[in-house]
Amino acid sequence: MTSIRSLAGACAVALASMCAFAAPGQAQTYPTRSITMIVPFAAGGPTDVISRIVTGHMAQTLGQSIIIENVVGAGGTTATTRAARAANDGYTLITGHMGTHAASVPLYPKLAYHPEKDFEPIALLAGTPILILARKDFPPKDLKEFIAYVKANAEKVNAAHAGIGSVSHVSCELLHSIIDVKPISVPFNGTGPAMNALVGGQVDYMCDQIVNAVPQINAGTIKAYAIATAERNPSLPNVPTTTEAGLPAYQAQAWNAIFAPKGTSPAILATLNAAAGKALDDENVRKRLLDLGSVIPAPADRTQAALGTLVKNEIAKWTPVLKPAS
Amino acid sequence: MADTMGHTASTTTARNTSAALGIFLLALAPQIFELVWSFGTIFGWGSGRGPLQVVAAHATALATSIPDLLVILSAVPGAIAKYLSTGSSGQVVKATLSSDALLALIYSYPLFAVAIGSLFVTIRGAQDYIGGVMLAALALFALWASSDLQGMHGFSFGAGTAPRMFGVLLLALGAGIAVTGLATDGPNVGHYSWRGPFFVAAAIVFFALAIRPLGLVVTAFASFQIAALGSHETRWIEAVIVGACLTAGCAVLFPYILGLPMPMFPRFLIQ
Amino acid sequence: MELFANLAHGFVVAFSPINLLMCLIGALVGTLVGVLPGIGTIATVAMLLPITFGLPPVGALIMLAGIYYGAQYGGSTTSILVNIPGEATSVVTAIDGHQMAKQGRAGPALAIAAIGSFFAGCVATILIAVLGAPLTKLALAFGPAEYFSLMCLGLIFAVVLAKGSVLKAIAMIVFGLLLSMVGSDIETGASRMAFNIPELADGLGFATVAMGVFGFAEIIRNLDHGAEMNRDLVQQKITGLMPTRKDLTDSTPAILRGTVLGSILGILPGGGAVIASFAAYTLEKKLARDPRRFGRGAIEGVAAPESANNAAAQTSFIPLLTLGIPPNAVMALMVGAMTIHGIVPGPQVMQKQPDLVWGMIASMWIGNLMLIIINLPLVGIWVRLLRVPYRLMFPSIVIFCAIGIYSVNNAPVDVILAGVFGLVGYWLIKHDFEPAPLLLGMVLGPLMEENLRRALLISRGDWSVFVTRPLSAVLLAIAAGLLVLTVLPVLRAKRDEVFTESEN
Repeated sequence: MTSIRSLAGACAVALASMCAFAAPGQAQTYPTRSITMIVPFAAGGPTDVISRIVTGHMAQTLGQSIIIENVVGAGGTTATTRAARAANDGYTLITGHMGTHAASVPLYPKLAYHPEKDFEPIALLAGTPILILARKDFPPKDLKEFIAYVKANAEKVNAAHAGIGSVSHVSCELLHSIIDVKPISVPFNGTGPAMNALVGGQVDYMCDQIVNAVPQINAGTIKAYAIATAERNPSLPNVPTTTEAGLPAYQAQAWNAIFAPKGTSPAILATLNAAAGKALDDENVRKRLLDLGSVIPAPADRTQAALGTLVKNEIAKWTPVLKPAS
Repeated sequence: MADTMGHTASTTTARNTSAALGIFLLALAPQIFELVWSFGTIFGWGSGRGPLQVVAAHATALATSIPDLLVILSAVPGAIAKYLSTGSSGQVVKATLSSDALLALIYSYPLFAVAIGSLFVTIRGAQDYIGGVMLAALALFALWASSDLQGMHGFSFGAGTAPRMFGVLLLALGAGIAVTGLATDGPNVGHYSWRGPFFVAAAIVFFALAIRPLGLVVTAFASFQIAALGSHETRWIEAVIVGACLTAGCAVLFPYILGLPMPMFPRFLIQ
Repeated sequence: MELFANLAHGFVVAFSPINLLMCLIGALVGTLVGVLPGIGTIATVAMLLPITFGLPPVGALIMLAGIYYGAQYGGSTTSILVNIPGEATSVVTAIDGHQMAKQGRAGPALAIAAIGSFFAGCVATILIAVLGAPLTKLALAFGPAEYFSLMCLGLIFAVVLAKGSVLKAIAMIVFGLLLSMVGSDIETGASRMAFNIPELADGLGFATVAMGVFGFAEIIRNLDHGAEMNRDLVQQKITGLMPTRKDLTDSTPAILRGTVLGSILGILPGGGAVIASFAAYTLEKKLARDPRRFGRGAIEGVAAPESANNAAAQTSFIPLLTLGIPPNAVMALMVGAMTIHGIVPGPQVMQKQPDLVWGMIASMWIGNLMLIIINLPLVGIWVRLLRVPYRLMFPSIVIFCAIGIYSVNNAPVDVILAGVFGLVGYWLIKHDFEPAPLLLGMVLGPLMEENLRRALLISRGDWSVFVTRPLSAVLLAIAAGLLVLTVLPVLRAKRDEVFTESEN
């Protein structure tokens, strides 16, 4: 079955490339062959899942397949470097996120690309809200108590994060800089081991994306103090927002967006932006994204210009938070 | 490979000289490697220093670090302790040493000393002696490579502590193995042939360089033939047929059945 | 009995035609992936993940699980036939397995690996069903301090592994530890010994080094003058395909012990399965009446680690099924597969998704049965492969390895690095250094350093945590005991030597 499916896919690709041979020249409208979408994280992670859901629909609109290529390493910067150097013909795109296209600037002083100078923004896809999580028997009952407790016991408490440059690391650094404490941050290798340590009570708290935390919160193995978005999330109706809980300054979302290498033609960018927008309006795509706890951008936030502004603002937001840390 | 016991005094001396020469070259291997690499910059490949810059920088580093070497030698025990705890040799010598000078001090000079020392000892088990010295050389190189990393501060380990710890440990073990080679009789170094390693390595390098631009079909077939050069038993008609079949098999197996994204044909043919 | 009702329900799910088909495909692909050098399970599951999006979730997971444990069966094949371990868990299998192949006993080695894996897989599956929930506590009780102590124990296993000089084995472990330091520092993100090469930013890949020091080095060595004789001998010596009665009686206790060790260690997330295979080998060598046979083609040296790694592959599902936390990269990909189907696994996945959980558990048993049916007849084919003239075999292995390494990250630099490690491996062979301890050092190094640093961060620099936490103290005590047991025979052997000489 596997081979039959992939063979069928292969035949389709072969046919498509033959068609491309049959009518050479630039006269045809983009896209004339399959598009490669680089995802800078492992298959199955939040960025990968969002990319696959949205590009699946975009491929239908564009009439060409979009092949996802997962390239992992160095907090996503390996893949982003590769994308920055790719041909700017619209056939190599990248799903960047908060880490690769904003936080990486202060985190990696020797970064081989710049998110603004080396990329053309295409469209914002979806964001995953950040939660403040703690082990189930951590004394504080709500966010106010939590802040007071962490401040009073900064020498004793242990925060956990999923590795330097991960969403959980940078978003926790933001929290620490807002409430002005410097507790010990214990690094883990990925979200799984960090969550294991939190459930096992080895560490006290962490900040993480909503996707993996929901079932643990519902089962009562960990607890959530607040969600760092403007509105409550339908998958966790009982968790207050940071504004409600008394820390309105803490707003964090792991946003994901499509970028193309610098110099890609405006017509291609517009085509891709329209396809992405159409995908985000699709009933089925919306449902699947919402099931993950994602936040879908409003139409006004989906333009290329809006994404460009977001990247600029995010770099400005993370630079002071992460500079002293690295 | 096993006839090691029957050496006479004259062969021992000859072998000692070649061993010393080998270790001397090993001591300069990183510098030579960088020089070879730097020729690429003439043609605009890669980035880095040009050949003249490399030669000048390393020559200066080797020469100017001699005074530092003497300072360190006079304060060896304290320096090692401080080096381990703070991660910089700057406690003894000024912290402004360039990376080249550190390479000379940490890697090259100790190996020069070993090379000279080799001339004056009886090597009873060359396999162990050379093996141990090379491990120690690897350890010294690792110590140099990790010399720019932060050491212990408070109870936090810092990035450099573990690599330096293992580096020192490997240095000690390498030295221990080398001493075994001096103290006890052991086998001689086995015979190295050049044909197999050369062509297998060439096939691998060709594969790495060609897979992106030329695609799987051309690369796999060509690499097969290059690797086949490594054996004198190869029969060419047979190799070409098997190579072609294997390439066809791989071209179906990897991209289609296993779904690995891989370029199939040369890039210039597709576009 | 709720358990039987659950299991019965699971078998109903697993026996549906579509799920049986998925299980078969998973087992076949897994075997293929395991056999092909370089292609790891992580890479394959990642590649095949998109295909599962179109399948029902239960079928998709049954297939992915099949690939995972199927690869454990296949992984032993290249270890035994051509001395190339594709996964960290089959490094030890190569030690005695390849020696057996050189003595013309590749058939029994392959067969016993399959039989051991089958037995271990069946036992571990039952264990998941019966004891899954209580065993979860073990995974949660393991904090950084316990992991560090476990890794210390693992390093002692690596010493016991050595067949030659203990000093050289320790040097190889430390060399492996040093190699594992390349990459980004976990706490500060600083780049360590990476020389600004982007491909080194995340460290040296296991597959890259293993292909180099085992695969390429073995080929280069076989091309040496004078090596032809040995190869021809191997081809003439091939005897029976199936293990003899003596082989089976020798292996039975090894399989039993390997299964127990593997089942327990497999539950531990991160490195459990690797340590399990090494621990099983060490245990057999320690218990053997004549430890010198190990490293020279002892069938227990194949049976025990193969049983252990397959048992561990099965029980590593426990944290995923009971806690919803993926214990390793392959499981994390499976969580991704579930997520895409709208199922996010958590502690309640057993109650909320009984079809999925029990169907998967039942399918593991069916999958193991399929795997042994697939693998035993294949033994004959694999052994026949050894009769292919080496002049044709070696370029083929080079190509397969190169494609395999390239496919892991699509990085040509990885292929060149593997070539460099091939030359390093050739050098190691010439100086009588063993590559197995090096690889173990490389796998354990980061786990050891990271957990040490985590433990000290949490304890604020207090080293006593390693002895005040009971589990950690027990592990360190075992490690110390094992170290004494390892050193004693060396001393005793020296003394015996003295005695024999004085008697003569």
